[in-house]
Amino acid sequence: MKITKFLLISLFIFLFNSQTSFTDEAKMIKGLEIFNETAACAGCHILKAAGSEGNIGPNLDTVEGLNYASVMDIVTHGLGVMPAFGEDEILTKDQIEIVSFYVANSAGK
Amino acid sequence: MMILLGGSQMKKKIKKLNLSRRNFLAGTATLAGIAATASVAPITIANANHSEGKKGLPDFISWKDRDALIVHSDKGIETHRSAIGESLVTPNRNIYIRNNMPTMTDEQIGNRMDWKVSIEGVKNPKTFTIAQLQKLGHETMATILQCSGNGRGFFKHKPRGSQWKTGAAACVLWTGVPMKTVVDACGGINGDAVYMTSAGVDHVPTGLDPKKAMIERSVPKKVFKDAMLAWEMNGVPLPNAHGGPLRMVTPGYFGINNVKHLGKVAFTTQESSVKYMKKSYRISPIGKKGSQYPSCWEMPVKSWITRPTDETGTIKAGKVQIVGVAMGGTKKVRSVKVSVDGGSSWKKAKFIGPNLGKYAWRQFVLETTLSAGTYNIASLASNGSDKQPELRMENRRGYAHNGWKDHSVNITVV
Repeated sequence: MKITKFLLISLFIFLFNSQTSFTDEAKMIKGLEIFNETAACAGCHILKAAGSEGNIGPNLDTVEGLNYASVMDIVTHGLGVMPAFGEDEILTKDQIEIVSFYVANSAGK
Repeated sequence: MMILLGGSQMKKKIKKLNLSRRNFLAGTATLAGIAATASVAPITIANANHSEGKKGLPDFISWKDRDALIVHSDKGIETHRSAIGESLVTPNRNIYIRNNMPTMTDEQIGNRMDWKVSIEGVKNPKTFTIAQLQKLGHETMATILQCSGNGRGFFKHKPRGSQWKTGAAACVLWTGVPMKTVVDACGGINGDAVYMTSAGVDHVPTGLDPKKAMIERSVPKKVFKDAMLAWEMNGVPLPNAHGGPLRMVTPGYFGINNVKHLGKVAFTTQESSVKYMKKSYRISPIGKKGSQYPSCWEMPVKSWITRPTDETGTIKAGKVQIVGVAMGGTKKVRSVKVSVDGGSSWKKAKFIGPNLGKYAWRQFVLETTLSAGTYNIASLASNGSDKQPELRMENRRGYAHNGWKDHSVNITVV
């Protein structure tokens, strides 16, 4: 009985983690597409993980304290020459969340 | 959290498409327009001097002193508090970097003496090369170069942008020709002008829409009387990273108005309509924005301690020299007081070193004796009309911070 219970819990944990990983992986793939193509972030930023070499804005691999929230904020509201992708409805909220997730998990890697 | 993808899967997604590149480079596409296109190539223009260089600095400033600098990003690099005040003039190798556009390369600049600047809104509009400007006049002056957002890192609402504390500022010796001399050579300013509007050309190689990318800044016309077209910075040809070969210097005005890679100066009846004038660099309440709010123009009176700080090592009990810098903004700094008890009591500090004029900062020192313990050290400057407030002026983007409390330092004496 104990063994069955252990196996069931293990299976649950495995399935839960698999689902989370898949979701994150899907976000990373979609995020890269948004970064390089849909939003053209690559045209202005260096991000080694994306193979991008743009040089208008900061090199994202060098930005101090970069995290999901800070990327979301800047992508939404813009800064200087960078468009306000959220305020100006260039990207959807979902797209902003995904590309921010991608950048936050790729920068400096 | 680290996300790992299969190598082949990721490589497939790292595409380098080039369909939009031509439009981008030709300047026919705005950023918003590019965003709407299906694909875009990573752009390599001007990248040759911006890759990560030795010592963790970008190549275009690899000549700077890494130990004196805090790297917020490759385009936002701050001077350590303790690396700013040991001499009156800040050495070029220690001076901060804040660039809205990529620094122009030697190839893009070409022969520096042939660099052109046009003067408009005057009786006889003319275009001068640097060689011609050098025949018109020659002057050296000291001013403070300070980013509008210097001190942003103290704001509790964490405004977007580099989190500067004290190090987006420098005292610089500029050499060039007075703007007044140039204006006289052009027959004087047109009668209806209200602003002096300076435009850089560093956006040109990017191909971006000038309305969104051009650094064009208008300041009140009166600024021309003390302004300079500078080609030298602290005794060397103006480095590209600081706007070489020619930069507008607007004494007493925030850094953004000291336009780099200068291509045009016009005396205008209206403020420039580009984004960097109309929308950016506006001091607005938190949660609000717009061109109805004041632009980052005149710098306020300000000071800060540079030594001792938590950066300068163990402080031993006994006699201590408290050192700092003080500036008056557009007026001469008159006095500075120092507190070692968080502002409960103040003592007048002594100005030291030569006085390089009202637009330069003064170094100050207060000799005092400290026993073992913890101290909050603050400085408070006055220009006769205004003195530093205790608290920051809250604003959306974290501009123009001159409150003394945030700029104070906590030290431990042993």
